[in-house]
Amino acid sequence: MTPRPTLLALSLALLAPTAAAQGATTVRLGYFPNLTHAPALVGLERGTFQKALGKVKLEPKEFVSGTTLTEAFAAGQIDIAYIGPGPAINAAARGMPLQIVAGASEAGAVLIARKGSGIRTYKDLAGKRVAVPSLGNTQDISLRHILKEQGLGAQTDGGNVTVTPVAPADVLAAFAANRVDATLVPEPWGAALEAQGHLLIGNEKTVWRGGAYPTTVVIVNTKFAQANPALVAAFLGAHGKAVAFLTGKPAAAAASVNRELEALTGQKIDPRVLQRAMNRTRFTTALDPAALNEYAALNVEAGYARGTVNLAPFLNPGFQKR
Amino acid sequence: MTTTSLGTPTPVRRPSRWRMFVWQLLGLGLLLALWWLVTDVLRLYPPYVFPSPRAVWTEISYGLWGTGPQDGKLLAGIGNSLRRVLVGYVSAVLLGGVVGLLMGAWRPLRDTLGAYLTGIQSVPSIAFVPFAILFFGLNERAVLFVVILEGFIPVALAVSGALMNVPPALRVAGRTLGARGLDLTTGVLLPSAVPSILTGLRTAWSFAWRALVGAELLVSASASLGSQLEIGRNTANMALVIATILTIGVIGGIFDAVLRALETRVRRDYGLEVQQ
Repeated sequence: MTPRPTLLALSLALLAPTAAAQGATTVRLGYFPNLTHAPALVGLERGTFQKALGKVKLEPKEFVSGTTLTEAFAAGQIDIAYIGPGPAINAAARGMPLQIVAGASEAGAVLIARKGSGIRTYKDLAGKRVAVPSLGNTQDISLRHILKEQGLGAQTDGGNVTVTPVAPADVLAAFAANRVDATLVPEPWGAALEAQGHLLIGNEKTVWRGGAYPTTVVIVNTKFAQANPALVAAFLGAHGKAVAFLTGKPAAAAASVNRELEALTGQKIDPRVLQRAMNRTRFTTALDPAALNEYAALNVEAGYARGTVNLAPFLNPGFQKR
Repeated sequence: MTTTSLGTPTPVRRPSRWRMFVWQLLGLGLLLALWWLVTDVLRLYPPYVFPSPRAVWTEISYGLWGTGPQDGKLLAGIGNSLRRVLVGYVSAVLLGGVVGLLMGAWRPLRDTLGAYLTGIQSVPSIAFVPFAILFFGLNERAVLFVVILEGFIPVALAVSGALMNVPPALRVAGRTLGARGLDLTTGVLLPSAVPSILTGLRTAWSFAWRALVGAELLVSASASLGSQLEIGRNTANMALVIATILTIGVIGGIFDAVLRALETRVRRDYGLEVQQ
């Protein structure tokens, strides 16, 4: 493996600066088809982003988990992304060149128990199987904190709760087959499970910090931001408009979100379910450094990092005001 | 070149044991130096893509003998994974042995089931995981199912193949001495097939070990080597990923070496290998 990496690194080094220096011709955007990423969904559906970027082409890329998004980000295939604070903090801790530039949504994650599982309260999670979207993601870290507060623990930490990764879209099938007993999921999956008769055990406010916690943030590749500050500012302007639309005209925004989700997943959500999910999610562009720092501490508590990372160099809310 | 008489073969020059060990050690050192050069000195890759040997060593040391509240996960993973693979492997050997014996004793079974098993063997074990999850749930049984499925096929094929390849002279001699049916199989054919069966057992081990890690990647409910890989990936911790890959490789290598030594010894006892 001697000559090849060298050649590869050389060719990459030759290619990279030219693309950045001349100003980008495309903006590659990463996001998930979740309600917690609604500003991305609305911005795409209404063409808000493309309008703000002008001649620069927007290339949206859909991901199913923060893991794959982070990998694409590390490989330099994504410029701007909507992502959970968990993966964002982990990526920052490993030294990935990223800036957290805006908030997108807060709360919007709920704990749902399968009907017939016998779970009524957090305490009843003892000895049960609980699904999270993926190990080390935002909901997984929240769940481990909830367990700790209840005097419980994940099996991997010597407790008796089995925490297992199941994609939110697959939880319905997992519930039907009795494979898992509960799940901590982002919306609209929580409301959709509830509509199927499963039980809400923890709402968005009881999960953590009375609901004042970030669920999705906007990150940008540091090199991309340095080379294209105007583009990033234009994108964030559009992001602000999308958030304003979500908070100002919830009914119209819900319809827009539903159209985009249907285009992405082929499934339309019952408007009442979507409304309930939206009521549990707060959309904002604000970044709360205190909440993010607490989150970094929870990440250590969950065993996904050895020490808290100093987030100050990675937080850059100033981009929004340019 | 004066003594070329029969019975005294000219000794083949082979490097002595310790000499080979020194070479291997040198090779390892060279590899580490190269790794260190690429990551720490030349910095050809960012650490989140290709971490330095030191970062990987940190993960290994915390994972194996760290004393913090979240340390020792690698050790716990090794324990769980070894327990699973041993249970799976022993079951696979027993099951494969019986199926192989039946296939070796009865031609129609060999022609039908044998062909299917060869086909199944070409399917990567990870392809069976979704089925196993639906059938058994997100639990240890799903993992064991995949391990046993992957492990028993090489054993069954090796046993039936070995029985088939027993020299006809032995079979005739056995018959002449009055051995029939099961007696012939267990008393004459099976003992002479032991070396080939051992090769099958070794293949089965490496299949089972690979299947285990693949299944654990997708069914990571409790600490395991597979879940360590998945957590490393999910938390952008490439050092943990590499530390886990090294652990998987070292354990796989140790077991393979033990089985290989056993195989060589048996082959020597059977006169299939000339002792130096």
